[in-house]
Amino acid sequence: MILKKIEVNINGRDYCLDVEENLRLIDLLRDKLKLTGTKEGCGEGECGACTVIMGGKIVNSCLVLAFQADKSRIITIEGIEEDDVIKNSFIEEGAVQCGFCTPGMVLAAKSLLDKNLNPTEEEIREAISGNLCRCTGYNKIVSAVKKAAKLKRGGDGE
Amino acid sequence: MNELKIVGKSINKIDAKDKVDGSAIYPQDIYLENMAFGVTIRSTRPHAFIKVDTKEAGKIDGVLKVFTYKDVPGKNHHGVVLKDHEVFASKKVRRIGDPIAFIVAETKEIAEYAKNFIKVEYEDIPAVFDPEEAMKEDSPKVHDRDNVFYHFKIRRGDVEKAFKECHVIVENVYKVPMVDHAFLQPEAGVAFLDEDGRVVVIASTQYPHFDQEEIAESLGVNKEMVRVLTPAVGGAFGGREDITVQIHLAIAALTLKRPVKTVYSREESFLAHSKRHAMKMYYKTGALKDGTLLALEAKIIGDSGAYASWAMNVLRKSAVHATGPYYIPNVKVDSFAVYTNNPFTGAMRGFGATQVPIAYEQQMDILAEKLGLTPIEIRLKNCFREGSETATGQVLEGFVPLERCIEELKSF
Amino acid sequence: MEAIKPKNLEEVLEYKSKYKGDAKIIAGGTDLIIKIRKGEENPKALIDISSLNELKGIRETLEYIEIGPATTFTEICECILLNKNLKGLKDAARSVGSPQIRNRGTVGGNICNASPAADTVPPLLALDSILVIEGKGKKREIYLKDFFKDKGRGELEGDEILTKIKFKNPLKNQGLGFYKLGLRKALAISRLSFAVFLEIDEMNRIEIVRIASGAIGKFPMRELEVEEYLTGRIINENTIEEAETLLERVIFERLKGRQTAKFKSIAAKGVFKKALLNALYLCKGVNDFEKN
Ligand SMILES: Cc1cc2nc3c(=O)[nH]c(=O)nc-3n(C[C@H](O)[C@H](O)[C@H](O)COP(=O)(O)OP(=O)(O)OC[C@H]3O[C@@H](n4cnc5c(N)ncnc54)[C@H](O)[C@@H]3O)c2cc1C
Ligand code: FES
Ligand code: FES
Repeated sequence: MILKKIEVNINGRDYCLDVEENLRLIDLLRDKLKLTGTKEGCGEGECGACTVIMGGKIVNSCLVLAFQADKSRIITIEGIEEDDVIKNSFIEEGAVQCGFCTPGMVLAAKSLLDKNLNPTEEEIREAISGNLCRCTGYNKIVSAVKKAAKLKRGGDGE
Repeated sequence: MNELKIVGKSINKIDAKDKVDGSAIYPQDIYLENMAFGVTIRSTRPHAFIKVDTKEAGKIDGVLKVFTYKDVPGKNHHGVVLKDHEVFASKKVRRIGDPIAFIVAETKEIAEYAKNFIKVEYEDIPAVFDPEEAMKEDSPKVHDRDNVFYHFKIRRGDVEKAFKECHVIVENVYKVPMVDHAFLQPEAGVAFLDEDGRVVVIASTQYPHFDQEEIAESLGVNKEMVRVLTPAVGGAFGGREDITVQIHLAIAALTLKRPVKTVYSREESFLAHSKRHAMKMYYKTGALKDGTLLALEAKIIGDSGAYASWAMNVLRKSAVHATGPYYIPNVKVDSFAVYTNNPFTGAMRGFGATQVPIAYEQQMDILAEKLGLTPIEIRLKNCFREGSETATGQVLEGFVPLERCIEELKSF
Repeated sequence: MEAIKPKNLEEVLEYKSKYKGDAKIIAGGTDLIIKIRKGEENPKALIDISSLNELKGIRETLEYIEIGPATTFTEICECILLNKNLKGLKDAARSVGSPQIRNRGTVGGNICNASPAADTVPPLLALDSILVIEGKGKKREIYLKDFFKDKGRGELEGDEILTKIKFKNPLKNQGLGFYKLGLRKALAISRLSFAVFLEIDEMNRIEIVRIASGAIGKFPMRELEVEEYLTGRIINENTIEEAETLLERVIFERLKGRQTAKFKSIAAKGVFKKALLNALYLCKGVNDFEKN
């Protein structure tokens, strides 16, 4: 197997790695770096459990080859700070059940709120439309994102 | 009285923090030292005799062993009620997706590669996919027995006489399809031997204690020699009540004496676990002119697919719920669970109570229309209240707030 | 498999001329990675163009709008150059998959993958787009409508790649409408889609009409018979109904013998009408038509 050298910045840390040429970004994160918060639910771009932020945009890490990520900045769920309002809102609003979709959902929500602190319900639903959740029925996730937006704007979240 | 600390309060889920952090561990997140990887070979035919040749695959560099039914130390079977699943198909496969072999190799890539070298020779035999066909005497038999393996009856009052007294009778056939749970975390697991030589199986399961028994039986060891650990479970909805990865992993870890992991793809996940029962429901419901229900006759046929799983419990529940939450004095219900060569069906949210409303509620709407009543009127007239007696003779005591619930709907 | 990340277009063409068909371009990878993993594609080399600025972005020249093939759907949705008469193109880009897919998937990949359900292809067909195709030391142009050869196959030589998509910048009284029928709102591949490009005069007479359908045949295509019928007519309930009936017949003929024939030919009427009304709305700037 031929290896390819890549440089990536993941969660603020620079890595210089030798990767197999057909390795997917998700495999790099999980198998090599043990950043297992990124989940694989389908491997075909359908579920969003593998969502990471790459170059400021959410992508499915199952549909990016590791070598394509050369020179890019990546944020995974492990890169979200400890006391993040989105994460806390997810906990408090009951938006977490089995949790398998949660890392991807949190990152999709972050990507929305990074651009738009006052999203409408429709915008929230659109922003998480690439992330499937089989447990919650989405409503609590939507309220968690609303609450997080409000808190980030400086409200009390209620 | 002291103020309650928990009841009536919104409490954060105990594991929610780990889950939002991404630190909660699901079986696929476990990586152990010296861990081998297994992939499953599954049947691609619905009904066939098989001959399996694993020699070529076994010779590939990095392949540790290819397991088949011959390598099952104990009983080559499992199943939550009937032991009708095989750990690995021995002589014949009964559905697309039956496990035939388990290749364990140093890496996932090698195991996947070795898949191409497993030769399975299929000798197709007639298959049956329609449960009603399967009920016929001369239909192909999925197991060495009648395809109808469960028949539940409810008899109350005299339906024949009651139908004669009805002002309207509505007769229809309803069909509902199979449904997959599609829990978001595909099946995965890891097995290894602990310091005491016990087999430890880590898998997302709904029944660790049940799995323990089934694994022990297939390993031919005492239950005490098997530990089943349940880490985070990525959704289940009934779809993790049957064995999938557990026994294969346990056999491999015990034989190879090293940790073995397997992770299913989404596609394999669909093949591996049960489905919600497809049902065909024949309904005949009769009412008096004022809408009072008088009689119900129903025949409910559940497609169990190739294995029984929880079919008895599911079809019993369908029958018990066949009247819906409505009082009917004369009831005759027959429910059947039938083997076919379809994917096997089992538990899924509602356990048989989910399918029948499609039938009984539509019957109510059609009756209402024929009688010139509103859907709400006919339901209020017949709904269960405190003290109502169900078709199976249960008297509903305590709180039965259905009437209030229907009243609330009036404003919509 | 060799993974190549060229620094510029020149290098891409160099590699392409060396490997020819054995090397595959990878842009967003949202089609290709799945195919490779399923074993449907087995290229010897992958040439990544996803971060080549030369092949990205949307530019306006005197006459044309030019789109780089590595432009993502998200970039199309966000582009201010695509004025509102081109709403149909943005609508199509916005209807693709999910935010994650739109952030990676490219318009060039959409065209070159040549799926019957490629969502940006009908609008680009209705715009009568031209593709610029280059190889080492060669360059040619071809109309998008002549590009597709079969399901999954476009007219590209082994050493060539798509380097530009261009179409005429629409005038004020022109508009592009799009409508897609999917099984659900997000992550739904088109069951059926229509794009309509329209130019009408003050008397509501159709000067130009170009209609393209998606997910019906082997690849998205123009509906010439319906175009011919509509050209020169005053647009009103009547002409639209006639056009719908004609379309139903054309599509039923095309799908004859297939299970979906009846459903698709009837559904096509409604989907087409929505796309047409969307286009009309853009031409007139108001939605006064339905009230007449
Ligand atoms: C979950 C999911 C949902 C989807 N939903 C939709 C949808 O709603 N609508 C839709 O239309 N599509 C959909 N797609 C398909 C896909 O996203 C699009 O077709 C997308 O445009 C492909 O672009 P890409 O850049 O990812 O292509 P790639 O996968 O990178 O490439 C696709 C093909 O085009 C070739 N290619 C790419 N660029 C060039 C070039 N410049 N020159 C020559 N050849 C080139 C590649 O070699 C390859 O053969 C979906 C895909 C997924 C996984
Ligand atoms: S695992 Fe990547 S989208 Fe499902
Ligand atoms: S919480 Fe289980 S899938 Fe979303």
